[in-house]
Amino acid sequence: MDSLFTAAVAGLSAGGAYAILGVCAIFTYRLVAVVNFTGAAIGAAGTFAMVALFELGVPLLPAVLLGIAAGAAAGIAIGLVMTTWFAGSSASTKAAVTAALLVGIIAVGLRLTGGQHPHYFPEIIPGSAFRLAGVEVTWAAVTTLALSIAFTLLTEQFLARTRTGLQLRALSQRPMAAELIGIRVRLLALGVWAVTGGVTAFALMIIAPLRSPDFSSLSLLVVPALAAALIGAFSSFRAALIGGLMIGLLEGSVSAIGAVSQYRGAVPFLVILAVLLWSQRGARWDEAR
Amino acid sequence: MTILSIGALQVDRAGIPVIRGVDLEAKGGEISVLLGSNGAGKTTFLESLSGIIPARAGFITLDGTALVKLRPGARAKAGLSHVEQGRTVFPAMTTEENLKVALHPDADLKEAYDLFPELLQRRTVEAGMLSGGEQQMVVIARSIVNRPRVILIDEMSSGLAPVIVSRLMRAVRQLADDGMAVVLVEQFAALALAIGNRAYVLRRGQIVYDGDCAALARDPGHLHRLYLGDAAA
Repeated sequence: MDSLFTAAVAGLSAGGAYAILGVCAIFTYRLVAVVNFTGAAIGAAGTFAMVALFELGVPLLPAVLLGIAAGAAAGIAIGLVMTTWFAGSSASTKAAVTAALLVGIIAVGLRLTGGQHPHYFPEIIPGSAFRLAGVEVTWAAVTTLALSIAFTLLTEQFLARTRTGLQLRALSQRPMAAELIGIRVRLLALGVWAVTGGVTAFALMIIAPLRSPDFSSLSLLVVPALAAALIGAFSSFRAALIGGLMIGLLEGSVSAIGAVSQYRGAVPFLVILAVLLWSQRGARWDEAR
Repeated sequence: MTILSIGALQVDRAGIPVIRGVDLEAKGGEISVLLGSNGAGKTTFLESLSGIIPARAGFITLDGTALVKLRPGARAKAGLSHVEQGRTVFPAMTTEENLKVALHPDADLKEAYDLFPELLQRRTVEAGMLSGGEQQMVVIARSIVNRPRVILIDEMSSGLAPVIVSRLMRAVRQLADDGMAVVLVEQFAALALAIGNRAYVLRRGQIVYDGDCAALARDPGHLHRLYLGDAAA
């Protein structure tokens, strides 16, 4: 039981990161109407930019800041593609485009970062914060948890209370009507891509030392991110926050159960399956009758 | 005084010419009524003015400023406002948020609520929950909060009760009386001609009538022939 609790707490860092990625996925979906499969890959680009700078001798803090900037720049690059050529496309077309871009980014990213060549990922928030029932809780776990909660609440407040937030909500509901009243829709859309890119990059930097240190593995964190977003029905930031944390805790718990520990990576997939089946329960019930 | 000038305008949709050399002038204090049967090109014409659809040729100037190469947002900032077909409120935002989102920091909502005082008591209601008439009021009010020079209105009466349509028509007349140039596209020709100054009839992308609203209103048979062209003969 103790080992299960320890493993669950160990999953807290990942859960916080999944929550941030899930909130970012909803942010992108709600405001620029894109189910974004490149979210984690954009963050991975920023993370590897930080690692490359650190390996070149740049001190950690400037490397982290430049990595976040690189994540934001990568986000803007994807945003430029989407706003230039696919602004008027359907949601399914946009999703397909980002899935294709994900494949391209992983291919290029693996090439540029040396494939499976191991990199040293510095712990940007090292050390133990406190002990909980005998289990070490790291600063990385506390930070990702605090960051995910803060990002969720700030996002809600920003959209509800600021002029730019109001304009973003208008943009998400009727892009053309928003443009016709003088809202700078492309600038705002690129801002959304930049913010999600920078935030995702920072979240991945925190948990990267705990994951397989290659570009592909970090990019595929889009799966738990979308699972968290799905729990929030691509609408509720708070539900995505809770969903992301739960997936992290569940993954951690599964890793402590010998028989299934090798399959902990399947947890997000099972969550996606469960949410989709649950969301279809009404239709299945009707068919059965 | 002419505020909006359009000359030799040509617009294509999917490579097919829809607007074929249209000239039109909209003056401050006047309502220019644009009539025509379904498919004549009225909506395409307005969408090309506001920049939703690019023009293939011709010119559009607002107070002498060329608009043709500007994006819709820049045209709005230049003083051109467009009320689209279909009551385009932001449905998950309140009435007041719908109005505020368009507002310049140094402007206020007084004129919007003066035009439609009935919106005051609905200001905290989500726009998606308003009646059709109220939604149209929100869209028109939103389009004038920054005092545009020209307002383009497309089929505002579609699907609304006659009493609401009359209320909206009075409001549009008030906007013109306040000095704006109004270009009104409307299916209910009689109602539009009753409040309008200058009438244009569009058929197959070309202007086939350019004259006084009152004269056209007095001769419905002539209007009928203008709509149908050779088929009426």
